[in-house]
Amino acid sequence: MPVLSIDTSGEIAVAVVDPRGPRVLAERRSPERRHAELLAPLVVEVLGEAAVARSDLEAVVVGTGPAPFTGLRAGLVTARTLALALAVPVHGVPSLDALGAAALAAHPDAREVLVLSDARRRELYAARYRRVDGATRDAITVVAGPLVDRPDALVQAGLADGAVVVGPGAPLYADVLGVEPREPAHVDLGVLAALARARTERGEATPTEPLYLRRPDVAPSAARKRVTG
Amino acid sequence: MRDAALVLGIETSCDETGVALARVHDDRTELLVDAVASSVDEHARFGGIIPEIASRAHLEAMVPTVQRALAEADVDLGQVGTVAVTAGPGLVGPLTVGTSAAKALALALDVPLLGVNHVIGHAVVDEVVHGLFPERVMALVVSGGHSSLLLVDDAVHGVTELGSTLDDAAGEAFDKVGRLLGLPYPGGPHIDRLARAGDPRAIRFPRGLTAPKDQEKHAYDFSFSGLKTAVARWVEARQDAGEEIPLEDVAASFADAVADVLTAKTIAACRRHDVGTLVIGGGFSANSQLREMATQRCAEAGIDVRIPPIRYCTDNGAMIAALGAAAVRRGVPASPLDLAVDSSMPLTQVVL
Ligand SMILES: [Zn+2]
Repeated sequence: MPVLSIDTSGEIAVAVVDPRGPRVLAERRSPERRHAELLAPLVVEVLGEAAVARSDLEAVVVGTGPAPFTGLRAGLVTARTLALALAVPVHGVPSLDALGAAALAAHPDAREVLVLSDARRRELYAARYRRVDGATRDAITVVAGPLVDRPDALVQAGLADGAVVVGPGAPLYADVLGVEPREPAHVDLGVLAALARARTERGEATPTEPLYLRRPDVAPSAARKRVTG
Repeated sequence: MRDAALVLGIETSCDETGVALARVHDDRTELLVDAVASSVDEHARFGGIIPEIASRAHLEAMVPTVQRALAEADVDLGQVGTVAVTAGPGLVGPLTVGTSAAKALALALDVPLLGVNHVIGHAVVDEVVHGLFPERVMALVVSGGHSSLLLVDDAVHGVTELGSTLDDAAGEAFDKVGRLLGLPYPGGPHIDRLARAGDPRAIRFPRGLTAPKDQEKHAYDFSFSGLKTAVARWVEARQDAGEEIPLEDVAASFADAVADVLTAKTIAACRRHDVGTLVIGGGFSANSQLREMATQRCAEAGIDVRIPPIRYCTDNGAMIAALGAAAVRRGVPASPLDLAVDSSMPLTQVVL
């Protein structure tokens, strides 16, 4: 039974996936930042292309980031609300986990990978993963992170030492990091769905709480203030 | 079984997550439930709404609030026939959470989506309280975010903005004066409480945009920043002279000036456009001096005044379900699934 897999931690990505395999049945990606506008129409498109009825979906899987705020929230609230309306479970998987699992599969000689994504404000989100020997590729161990910091601070902390460095954040600061960015550069929605399935089967929690990693800016809005509650 | 006349409304333009269900009847709109979750307490210590905090709270509150509304109304999601949502005006981050949720519902349930105007919702919510609007009504929408005077020939197809504030919203002026008087945020209710014990005629504060020279261009516009400055000057002069500030009289005189301008201009607009019904909506319509003055002056002018109970004046899902119901009653076509939020949505645009 197919699942809907959504990630809005970077670009907008949505796919209908058969989590066994995993096999992507239909996929849409957009580099545009208009997550809240484009996501729902793209969901309609992938369902149409995969010839999967809404009622055939078995679950909704969503990337929980970390990511800058508004786009990530559009993905999370869409996934949660779709699951509510379709009466199916919703599973959250950190987007960096999907990059890490895909990277370990793509680089069979690597023992550890550092996954980086763009946090803006000259910072990167980072997480380092280790292969679990003898296990399936869905079994990864987090060595460090997820965290947010400046690229030079990540280098000083030794996070890149001896690791294959991947993710959409890697090419942005390749010279500061002193590494050659490797694939994958984007979240694989099949891997995201496979991780959700593996974790659920192992009885692990798959919360859809967003990984903000930053406190909100607390400059009050000048535009709208209220009076009477 | 799906019920085409059953409208679910979602409101997230500021700090309240509102979800309501309304049913369209031939002769009325019936409100089934109005569920709300507020993050207002999280903002109070910052002295204003923090958009990111509000957005985070909307994400967490959305599904539980939808579930609570459904449970209280004993409605199954599969019965919902239309999903209405605030498309603007408001804060982009909060609006994004609400519209994303509404789109997901419309998509999953395969029902029409209606992106509607928050400010018009503040007026039309009165239809679930006092019945459908007559042919033509005047609407005064006043809150912390808006102060608008609207001529409503049709709640969906015929809204004309006669005037609005040129600077601060009425409620915003209350917040600022509250801060000036050392009152906790939000200042409105505190000023209202003090004002009840004060003399509204103790101090003559200016009435913005009421001079004869303003009648041509700004007959129906408002301006409260000059009033706020006048209050500040008056208070500071007293402080400099080492005198005690008569808080009750300042509050009462300030609130009197605001209510006087709002009601005088609104009633003049009713007369000029020959409108016999006035609707007052928005959170600031909780202000007791405004309510009393509007009631009294409308009675004198022979105007029927409709003010919903306070719970329907603050931001809520009922206003969006009510406006969605008005659109359904008129057979308005669905909004596109790729609709964008519009933080400064014009008031003439009722449905996107
Ligand atoms: Zn409002």
